[in-house]
Amino acid sequence: MVRRLRALLRSTPVRTALVLVAVIALVSLTTFSLAYLSLRRDMEANIGANIDQHLAGFRIAATPETLAALVAAEAAGADPADRIFVFVTADGTSVGNARAEVENDEVQLFPRRDGKPLGRFGYVSRIVPGVGGLLVVAESRKPLADLEATFIRLSVLNLVPTLLISVGGAVLLSLRGARRVARIEATLERLAAGDLAARVAETGHRDDLARIGAGIDYMATAQEAATAALRQVSADIAHDLKTPVQRIAVLLSDLNDLLPEDSAEAAIAARAAEEAERAVGVFHALLQIAQIEGGAPRLRFVPVDLTDIARTFAEIYEPAAEDSGHALRLTLPAAGAPPVTVMGDKGLLGQVIANLIENALRHTPKGARIDLAVAGTPAGAVLTVADTGPGIPPGEEGKVLRRLYRLERSRTTPGNGLGLSMVAAIADLHGARLRLADNAPGLAVTLTFPAAG
Amino acid sequence: MRPCMRQVMDRDMKILVVEDDRTTADYILKGLRQEGHVVDHVADGRDALPLALSGAHDVLVVDRMLPGLDGLSLVRALRGARVTTPTLFLTAIGGVEDRIEGLQAGADDYLVKPFAFGELSARLAALARRPKAQVEETVLTAGDLRMDLIRRTVTRDGVEIDLLPREFALLEHLLRRKGRVQTRTMLLEAVWDISFDPQTNVVETHISRLRAKIDKPFASELLKTVRGAGYRIDG
Repeated sequence: MVRRLRALLRSTPVRTALVLVAVIALVSLTTFSLAYLSLRRDMEANIGANIDQHLAGFRIAATPETLAALVAAEAAGADPADRIFVFVTADGTSVGNARAEVENDEVQLFPRRDGKPLGRFGYVSRIVPGVGGLLVVAESRKPLADLEATFIRLSVLNLVPTLLISVGGAVLLSLRGARRVARIEATLERLAAGDLAARVAETGHRDDLARIGAGIDYMATAQEAATAALRQVSADIAHDLKTPVQRIAVLLSDLNDLLPEDSAEAAIAARAAEEAERAVGVFHALLQIAQIEGGAPRLRFVPVDLTDIARTFAEIYEPAAEDSGHALRLTLPAAGAPPVTVMGDKGLLGQVIANLIENALRHTPKGARIDLAVAGTPAGAVLTVADTGPGIPPGEEGKVLRRLYRLERSRTTPGNGLGLSMVAAIADLHGARLRLADNAPGLAVTLTFPAAG
Repeated sequence: MRPCMRQVMDRDMKILVVEDDRTTADYILKGLRQEGHVVDHVADGRDALPLALSGAHDVLVVDRMLPGLDGLSLVRALRGARVTTPTLFLTAIGGVEDRIEGLQAGADDYLVKPFAFGELSARLAALARRPKAQVEETVLTAGDLRMDLIRRTVTRDGVEIDLLPREFALLEHLLRRKGRVQTRTMLLEAVWDISFDPQTNVVETHISRLRAKIDKPFASELLKTVRGAGYRIDG
């Protein structure tokens, strides 16, 4: 939930909406504040004018008695909650609808013991010296407080719906866009993983997301075409070069037979023939990989029992392993366990095991152990060839799957650098996940086939 | 692939090669003629049909892609006309489906191009001499070596030789094709029922183990290595 909320907050529409809401709120608040301040100033001026008017009325009084009588008359007709008139005489007695105590220029107002209570909002007051005392006229601040309350209510009424509508709309938009963004993300991930056939393939939209999707598709198509062209070129080169190189090998063999046996010339011809044969082998393997990558063998996939193939290849390679001082060990599911069957091509799956065993034989020292294992797991059939040799240096795992790539230390050992590329191509053909892991020590190559069904 | 391969086949076989690609055809024709065979060559499927229908050839080599009449239709037409001349189908790499179709159409074996000449030569020899549903043999011999298929025993010069099941199968396969070269691929297909490309001499290790049992303790060598091609039992 929290993660979804976070993802939502990170989505573009929600972010845009939040920024917009903030701007709108800021503008409204500023406008309201200015209006409020201006109204308040007017109102305060009004109150002041009112007071002045009342004060002017009292100026006609010439004696303290008249003034007191005037004040008492005005006060009698006024609610002290709204307006207060007080005349404080020199001896400190208050005449009016409230009591007032003046100290310095500050006045404190109290309700009369027998009179009405004062207002809750405070007063704007004016103290004027009159004949024989101080005249205090005060107006309640209630209109100002009312104004403030009105403005706060207005702001809330204005902002809350704006906020709700914008954020709600943004969330809706972002939820609608989320599925499309997820689709784009998934496509990009597949492309990055090397699946160049992945496409966003979105129809029916004409917005920015649709344009991004179309752009990605266009890029993927171009990349796929370029890769296919490159593959085709390398396959063509391999094909065109194979025949002449093969003929060279034949000619060199003929030459070898014409030269006196055990002569230095015959030895050179024989070595040259071997080299030519190796080149033919490389071309042949390249062509085979191209053919496998073409995907045609998938058409004749049949159920194949992996344990059967593993048993056959363990038997085929057992003497070779023994001769080179390796221990080849076969681990199969216990007798009675269900067969480990995958949809595939028997010959190609055998080629995988052969390449992996030959790889292990070639790149591990005498005494190393080679484990060939087949297991049925809930995740699918698993084929493993693990050795206890020097393994692959960290960071090189991806590179060894490249065509013709060879580790620095393996440059001098036989092999054409295509064995693992072919394993990768065949794994891919079968939808199997290929993993090269550290066998601590050594290399563990695992193929996990998709679960049946 | 090597000149010494010329001993592989019986000489004077009559072979029809139907192949439109000039280079491949030259490669095949030169090799087969060097081996002493009589070779006819046509490049068009339609021209091939009457020649093949005459039944004058011991074995046919037919390419999949042909102008006029394609290889599949040619083989189907021949089988339809009850011409049973053994036929080897040539398919281009990448055309994996072709070989299945080829076998279904009635071809007896297939070879994926490009191929080593030794492989073609050995397979043609195997085809031409394919045993015709003969009486089941119970004893196979080569020189003083004797394999009893009922009791599953092997003796040489009267001495019993202890063989593992797969060594027995390997020896049986070679004995049944006595005098004919079997390539490594043919042995893997026949004895282990698997077709793959070993980069190492994995077949050689099995042969040398067999040899250690049937040849080493004895005076003469029955199991020969034919350089660049494969193995053969003589005697």
